[in-house]
Amino acid sequence: MVSRVLVPMDNSEMAERALRHALETYSGAEITVMHVVGEPSGMMGKAAKLALADDLKTVADELASDVLSRAESIAEEYDAEVDTSIEVGHPGRAIVNQAEDFDMVVIGTHGGSLSDRLLVGDVARRVFRRSPAPVTVIR
Amino acid sequence: MVEVLIAVGVIVALFVGFNIGGSTTGPAFGPAVGAGAISKLLAGALMSVFFFVGAWTIGRRVVTTLGRDLVTDPGVFTVETSIVVLFFIGGALFVGNYVGVPASTSMTAVGAIAGLGVARGALDWGVMGEIAVWWIVAPLVGFWVSVMIGRYVYPTINRLIAIDSSEGALVELDRSGAVPIPRAGPNTTRREFLGTVTLITIGCLMAFSSGTSNIANAVAPLFGAGVALNPLILLGSAAVAVGALTIARRTLDTLGNDITDLPLTAAIVVAVVASGIVIGLSAIGIPASFVIIATMAIVGLGWGRATRTVTISEGIRGESKPTVSVGALAAEDPGEEAPDIGEEAPEEIPAAADLFDPATTGRVIVMQNVVPILSTVGAYVTFWLLFGFVW
Repeated sequence: MVSRVLVPMDNSEMAERALRHALETYSGAEITVMHVVGEPSGMMGKAAKLALADDLKTVADELASDVLSRAESIAEEYDAEVDTSIEVGHPGRAIVNQAEDFDMVVIGTHGGSLSDRLLVGDVARRVFRRSPAPVTVIR
Repeated sequence: MVEVLIAVGVIVALFVGFNIGGSTTGPAFGPAVGAGAISKLLAGALMSVFFFVGAWTIGRRVVTTLGRDLVTDPGVFTVETSIVVLFFIGGALFVGNYVGVPASTSMTAVGAIAGLGVARGALDWGVMGEIAVWWIVAPLVGFWVSVMIGRYVYPTINRLIAIDSSEGALVELDRSGAVPIPRAGPNTTRREFLGTVTLITIGCLMAFSSGTSNIANAVAPLFGAGVALNPLILLGSAAVAVGALTIARRTLDTLGNDITDLPLTAAIVVAVVASGIVIGLSAIGIPASFVIIATMAIVGLGWGRATRTVTISEGIRGESKPTVSVGALAAEDPGEEAPDIGEEAPEEIPAAADLFDPATTGRVIVMQNVVPILSTVGAYVTFWLLFGFVW
């Protein structure tokens, strides 16, 4: 029985599809949408911005608000509610670290731009190789 | 025929300069334009002027290194080889911008010239080694200086140059005299005015440092091929000016640049540290890798700040107190005093290990080296083929 589902999301369409899949397939489960901020960027400015903030939480909330409110409005279409969580650092690492608290991870195959692929690497691959929980990859 | 070739070479060099102007104005003046301190036109104009000053005074030393000292036989630079080298520099700039991973133009240029030198058996490995050592040392220096700043003096600097924008123009031109004089705007406080002046000054410093190190990337191959230095510096700077006044408007708009994304204080610290190192290296004729130095400065500042220890004075004065914004901080009840920094739960302080773990940062640095390596190998293979089968 799958009762807790983790859906890591970035701002890509692939991530939205993963959320829709989770909402359709695990309608009885408690779904947590997770967004990672402060990920590696061209000159590491995104990570530094968080590290330098007086109040990390406020800045992280701001950075994550677009993706998370989009997730909430998608959930509304399914008359469902989702929990949200914000993590910092490398997306692949952060997702794998959180995955053990869940019965299932639903993730899109890829998101982001070419530079993200180069700088961050293949997040979905890292997750399905290292996640302690079963992983569904959506494309 | 030779005139045509020289003309082609100059055009390619101008193209390189044009792109340098376009891509450097954003990091240099992005913070000032973003804060509304100056217009994009003024940013482009300041960029042009200070780039030229840097190129004319110190930049020529780097041009000499790249165009003369890096190869044992100056004869390897012909107009034809210069054009090929410049194509690699321009192409690398283009690829770097297209892919969105920043790459050091100077490393790319040294790589392309080294590729030529190796193909002809004329690379001065001593000079090359000296440059390569500085490419490792300079980012480490930038990293440690920034760590120290981030750990111990960042809050002090932050307080000194706090910039809260008031209503109305920051700076007005007083046109009552014969010469317009900039004056503080109607609601501008003294500190805000000083902060704004600091922002603009730092943009000018970065433009100057770019001039000292980047002019060589546009004109050194032609200088090696025997074109006179002063006209080349003038031409290259003019091309940079055109780039700064045209395509830079777009790069100033896109907020994708990592220096502009930083808090203002951090942007200023990174700019000063990185520009200082670049100017220092240029002064001793070493082409500096600005992108990597700045990246390591950013990482150092963030890491230093994230691993900060609470100083006694800071603890007593209660500085670095997180601002309480009701609603944003779900963990705190409205009206509850925000915890002093020493009392924060450990997980509230950004986990430096999460944000800057070595593998993640290392990958970014490796990616920044890809374009220069491609340019080195590409230039070597191209010249090997050209000298073997065509020339």
